[in-house]
Amino acid sequence: MNKAISAGEHPHSGSWLRDWLEAWDRFWFTPADPLPLALVRIAAGALLTWASIVWLLDAQAFFGSTGWQRPEHVWRMNDQPWQWSWYFLDGSAGTVRLLAGITLAAAVMLTLGIATPLAAAVALAGFISAVNRAPLNVFGFDDTLGMLLIALVVGPAGAVLSVDRLLAPDHAADRPSVRANLAIRLIQVHLCVIYLFSGCGKLLGASWWEGTALWGAAANAQYRTLDLTWLASQPLLVNALTLGTLWWEVSYAALVWPRLTRRLVLAMAVPVHLGIGLAMGMMEFGLAMLTANMAFVPAAMLRQLLRPWLGRFVRVESHAA
Amino acid sequence: MAASLGLVAYFAAVIMPPLAGPPPASDLAMAALQPFRPLVGSLFLGHGYRFFAPDPGPGHSIQWTMQLADGSALTGSIPDPQTDWPRLLYHRRFMISEKIAAVVPPPDAPLDVRQRSRGDWQPLVKDVAGQLLSRHGGRQVTLQMTEHYLPTPEEVLRTEQGGDVVTPLGTYALAERRAAAQPLAGAAHR
Repeated sequence: MNKAISAGEHPHSGSWLRDWLEAWDRFWFTPADPLPLALVRIAAGALLTWASIVWLLDAQAFFGSTGWQRPEHVWRMNDQPWQWSWYFLDGSAGTVRLLAGITLAAAVMLTLGIATPLAAAVALAGFISAVNRAPLNVFGFDDTLGMLLIALVVGPAGAVLSVDRLLAPDHAADRPSVRANLAIRLIQVHLCVIYLFSGCGKLLGASWWEGTALWGAAANAQYRTLDLTWLASQPLLVNALTLGTLWWEVSYAALVWPRLTRRLVLAMAVPVHLGIGLAMGMMEFGLAMLTANMAFVPAAMLRQLLRPWLGRFVRVESHAA
Repeated sequence: MAASLGLVAYFAAVIMPPLAGPPPASDLAMAALQPFRPLVGSLFLGHGYRFFAPDPGPGHSIQWTMQLADGSALTGSIPDPQTDWPRLLYHRRFMISEKIAAVVPPPDAPLDVRQRSRGDWQPLVKDVAGQLLSRHGGRQVTLQMTEHYLPTPEEVLRTEQGGDVVTPLGTYALAERRAAAQPLAGAAHR
């Protein structure tokens, strides 16, 4: 029936493997438009700037030698020696403020796109130093921000919409690049991992199956910034919101890739993350997650959206990616 | 080829931590995580991503009462919604009580469980006490963990409110030599 197989040459197994390798190469190493990464840079840089200002408001308590957690006890909450931090070098007040100030300066430069590769590297080092020194004070916002900063170090984050480009116009910098694709793919795949585990973790909880989990979040006064206790009289609405969130998270990694479902999945991210931000006082976390979701928005659409405001800086035609 | 291997290693470091924890997790996942620990730790990738899972639980805060050098008393809370502003600062301090609460057993837990867990939570509380004493110039401070009651929808509609669960965390004073807080004899027993 199949001559090749009957001849014992197994061409299908070879082509199957070749197809996989080609798909891998296409996925990771096809040059892509650097604009989405530049937008991620501006948003993530602004979030890191804000986070650095807040760390500085109480820097000695977060990073100092007599902080909320003394440096010699940090191993109780993270994996030493791998979770390094430059704050372990010296916990004196002056040094702590200097190092936190360096992170803030790098974050501002990253946002504006000044010496972008250097700024991204220093910003990532300062960010990791902060979160590894103060494990008692970190939460989901930091998980997401770290993911974004790693991508900004990998890719040409200052290729467009940056002071670097204004000072040294380089039309080639706006061209599709493999590194831009790599950086955006890192965010996309990592984001799928986040939603998958977040959704699977919720499947262990009875309240998510019962459709009441959202009430648990709304009624928690320590999180609450918006009074949603009126939901007590709307059990079916609570069910719908809970189950909608659960199945959106569980299915995100599968449904965000097909064009047919991508818009729906990304549109759902907006109310979910803004809702958490507004109702539970975690706006930074919500904005970081929305920034990560932006990695799935096609570059051509972003160029169209930006044309009215940034036509001078962004060419409207999209590159094939 | 090198880039592909780097990508595989990176995503192994992304995927292994949530597979290996928080519980339940398999021995296989925990063993598979071991070679990636340097990469996971150095890039801050060791997350479980279990946001509000398995179930959203009650919130916690730490109430403290401090004796100052002049004999007067000062009280406070971690976090303090009245003074911890901006909200991100509140949230960073809120994590202190949430993370310590995760290792402090409730007051009605069996005695042996409470005794065994002391080695986990007391060093954390000691540092928090030391920071409070340094910040306010106090002589000693007494802390307690409050688990805030999470009302059901029915209770909210009936305007009922359940009781919070309070767990004493001990009384601490600054040890002079290293400016580190130490539990006072007998005071930290629960």
